[in-house]
Amino acid sequence: MKSWGLSFWLIILWLLAAVLSQFMVLDITHIDLEKILQGPDWNNWLGYDDLGRSVFNRLLDGTWTSCIVALTVISVSLITGTLIGTASAYAGGITDLVVVRIIDIFLAFPGILLAIALAGIMGAGIENVIVALSIVGWVGFARLARAQTLSIKHREHIVAARSLGTGHLKIIVKHIIPMLTTPILIEATFGIASIIIAEAGLSFLGLGVQAPDASWGSMIRDGTRYMLVAPHLVLIPGTALMIVILSINLLGDRLRDWLDIRSQLRIQRES
Amino acid sequence: MIAFIASRLISTLIVVLGVICMVFLLIHFIPGDPVDMMLGESARTVDREALREALGLNRPLGVQLWSYITSLFQGNLGTSLHHRIPVSDLLAERLPATIELAVAALLIAVAIAFPLGIVAALKKGKAMDKVSMAVSMIGVSIPNFLFGPVLILLFSIWAGWFPVSGRDGWSSLVLPAVTLGTALAAVLSRMIRSTLLDVLQEDYIRTARAKGCSKVQVVLHHAMRNAMLPIITLLGLQLGVLLGGAVITETVFSWPGIGKLMIDSINSRDYPVVQACVLLISLSYVFVNMLTDLAYAWLDPRIRFGDR
Amino acid sequence: MNMVVRVIGCLFWLTTLVSCSQPDSQSIRFGLASAAISLDPRYATDASSVRINRLLYQRMVDFDDQYRPIPSLASWKKISNKHYRFTLTSEPGNFIGGQQLRASDVKATYDFILNKKNVSPHRGSLSKIIRIDVIDDKTIDFILSHPDPLFPGYLVIGIVPESVVKKHIRLDKKPQGSGSFRFVDWPGQDRLIIERRRDKQRIEFLHVQDPTVRVLKLIRGEVDIIQNDLPVELVRFLETKPSLRTEYLEGSNFTYLGLNMQHPDLKKHAVRQAIAHAIDRAKLVRYMMSAKTKLATGLLPPYHWAGIKTTNPYDYNPAKARHLLASAGYTKLNPLTLEYKTSGDPLQIRIATIIQQQLKDAGIQLTLRSLDWATVYGDIKSGRFQLYSLSWVGIKLPDIFRYVFYSKSVPPAGANRGRYNNVEVDRLLDLAEQEYNIQGRIQYYRKLQNLLLQDLPYVPLWYKANVAIMASDLKGYRLAKDGNYDGLELISKGGSL
Repeated sequence: MKSWGLSFWLIILWLLAAVLSQFMVLDITHIDLEKILQGPDWNNWLGYDDLGRSVFNRLLDGTWTSCIVALTVISVSLITGTLIGTASAYAGGITDLVVVRIIDIFLAFPGILLAIALAGIMGAGIENVIVALSIVGWVGFARLARAQTLSIKHREHIVAARSLGTGHLKIIVKHIIPMLTTPILIEATFGIASIIIAEAGLSFLGLGVQAPDASWGSMIRDGTRYMLVAPHLVLIPGTALMIVILSINLLGDRLRDWLDIRSQLRIQRES
Repeated sequence: MIAFIASRLISTLIVVLGVICMVFLLIHFIPGDPVDMMLGESARTVDREALREALGLNRPLGVQLWSYITSLFQGNLGTSLHHRIPVSDLLAERLPATIELAVAALLIAVAIAFPLGIVAALKKGKAMDKVSMAVSMIGVSIPNFLFGPVLILLFSIWAGWFPVSGRDGWSSLVLPAVTLGTALAAVLSRMIRSTLLDVLQEDYIRTARAKGCSKVQVVLHHAMRNAMLPIITLLGLQLGVLLGGAVITETVFSWPGIGKLMIDSINSRDYPVVQACVLLISLSYVFVNMLTDLAYAWLDPRIRFGDR
Repeated sequence: MNMVVRVIGCLFWLTTLVSCSQPDSQSIRFGLASAAISLDPRYATDASSVRINRLLYQRMVDFDDQYRPIPSLASWKKISNKHYRFTLTSEPGNFIGGQQLRASDVKATYDFILNKKNVSPHRGSLSKIIRIDVIDDKTIDFILSHPDPLFPGYLVIGIVPESVVKKHIRLDKKPQGSGSFRFVDWPGQDRLIIERRRDKQRIEFLHVQDPTVRVLKLIRGEVDIIQNDLPVELVRFLETKPSLRTEYLEGSNFTYLGLNMQHPDLKKHAVRQAIAHAIDRAKLVRYMMSAKTKLATGLLPPYHWAGIKTTNPYDYNPAKARHLLASAGYTKLNPLTLEYKTSGDPLQIRIATIIQQQLKDAGIQLTLRSLDWATVYGDIKSGRFQLYSLSWVGIKLPDIFRYVFYSKSVPPAGANRGRYNNVEVDRLLDLAEQEYNIQGRIQYYRKLQNLLLQDLPYVPLWYKANVAIMASDLKGYRLAKDGNYDGLELISKGGSL
């Protein structure tokens, strides 16, 4: 369980860095043409990028980007997706059929392409990345929520509640949603990791965050141009990205194990 | 079984049509003019309108969509605005590259994931388990636009063992396939491990062991057979991820496949090619899903032989 | 023992056979940044295709060092202001079938382009031609609707065989030309093979989009020569390699900052002057561009026959810029804010970011908007921009001024993207148009260019230099100012002459 500790603290560090970066007067735009592509020196421990800007400062600025995109998208996708999926499964009939088809169409759509197309229409930039990823992201939650709701719908305590005349909304909120918490939470944790990857991927393809704002993905993409002469431009943001994603995935794993044990204990207690 | 296949086919068709329409509308609404992309900066503008008319780009959107769908049904995918060759020729030229990459990646993924996952499940809790899962965890956490360049740095630039990018000869397949395959392997090995663990808890396993079957026999004959179901389902779903990952991997390695073609065509607003690529990708995705369902149905004797 | 010797002997013999039967080991491999799209000169417009077509096809007219038109396939005589007679040289080339190029091929090619139905993008430049008459196999007349002293300079399109035109064949993928090279094969998009007619030297054009890969291929010997399209850091990296040779030549492709002349702030002359004074072009060139990049004063380079030789009045002077802005009413509390649109090209973004910093020192707040090229280009043409930067590539004739600066040349009619409207400029352009004497025209062009430099609808930046890096055993390659590949006509590999 050492992993729990380390990954947890790393994520806290990431969040702190993100918040702090907005308060610090970071000069991410200071250009020093003399220092183009130079490696670490006493002033800047992480070196300089292709315009002589401090890699450290830009890295820090990138934490904000990854943070804000991930948290916003996951919240929007989670809420939208869960509501739609639950409501659709609960309502059943034609509504459900239509929603399933819509979900299928979204799923048959390569997520990247949709994000690219949307970025193209709306223009690139952080806000549009958030919108595009949310549009792609709600589907996963909807499918999960729907599947779970379908299996819960016919359980005895739900049927009992219905026969007692409890309103639909109350049933959904009090009975169904709590049972979804575990799988949704786990999906959300891994979802955050995949959103960070997706945002970085879009920035890598040139569609996400635009110059001169910094995102780890665009830093990696810019860095690959100079791999021959300045590998630190790829390795530094790449390592940061990997550490954050790894920590989140580890946390998700621990969370799942922990929640699984809890639900197993609950089942044992109930039986 | 026939009814099952038929209903899947119909819903597939609806989905595919929906995808085509959505893509068509989206790509036409993106700002940027393919005629400009074709003619370039210094070309005179006198006949821009004529070119647009010759390409049918000045007709109302609805008409263009209808004409596209009807020619699709005749097997005509149109002509690439940028490359000036029929789109079907372009796809035929690029498809083998993507298939080569996908198959190689799949083989690498399976070769890594199965042993890793099985060993981890069998030695659950012990050192091997922890190590394999740590390795796969790292694999999941490194996106391929990062892993690719790192591999290039290590094995192309410093060691000089493999070409940096492009597709010529077997050696150029290694790095892209490893990049794409390891991502899949990471996910797959965890899935194999957890599925196998679930299956190993089942009663019939205990029975087989009690009967005196060796552990190996138990694992291979009994456990894996039953674990194959969810594993195959996951493999089918992962194809979508594989295809998406192929887009980025092909870009990183300049691998001349469908994924790179799609990105390039979006950038040059080559509408027919974008539509064809999306069609191809979503069709294959949907097709594989259908195959997965069928394989699932066939492997599960309960479905194959019907409820008795 | 005998057996072993025999086997080894056989193996040696076989390997020599194999290496002899590999024709490719002697071909020269040229790394291209963007693949050729169409090898049909009646349609090709992208740089790679046009440059390769120059090798595969012959053209009536070419240009000398001052960009004056000179005979290539044919020399000409002006029978009247509207009537030109061209006489083909004594030895025009042969097409694939062996038949020699004749006047009827020239007529067929140009008639095809002039025909609206064929939708050739080159029709616009030839719009003054009303009729083409073949007098005999070596003589051909062009009749114009209006006199145009620039006329011969338009006839730069590669000549295709008459039979091809008659049979409505398109040559995009299977060119048929009479040039110094003949087409061999184009197996995939990324590999194009041509062969020099006089000594059968093969050239392979390998499309390698990524600059890092191109550089590595060059270092590893998988490619023999690359030209342009490299970040300056990689060029410097290659200069350090002993097995490679780097050559530079100044260029004629003009890079500029385009301004929206309808924008309320940019309309003010003082503002435009301030921007020009605020940009440290020398610094930009020193860090971002390769050696031999020259600072520019106008669209046409100074050695162009119609160009002007003048010094740039806008030296780098942020203090003067601030002063000018103050005089136009901008203060610290009310600074000038502008938006600069750029494509996703990394070099463009770097240059834009440096300009942003430099303008900041002069008190101008510049925001950058980086979008994908298709979107940016659409925005530029429709006037939805404030500042942008682009280059004019391959400009030879001064009719470009009318195309770019005439008030009615707003896209799609022309390339006056900034919606520039200057009465004096229009007047000079009209006068030039009416002047059928070349010497007279030059005077108007000179006045025009001085006026443009003073009025600043474009802020001139530089002329991009050309750089070629090749394996040190390659000889004879000469760079051209507009970046074409004509040097391949003389290139040779290794000890062969």
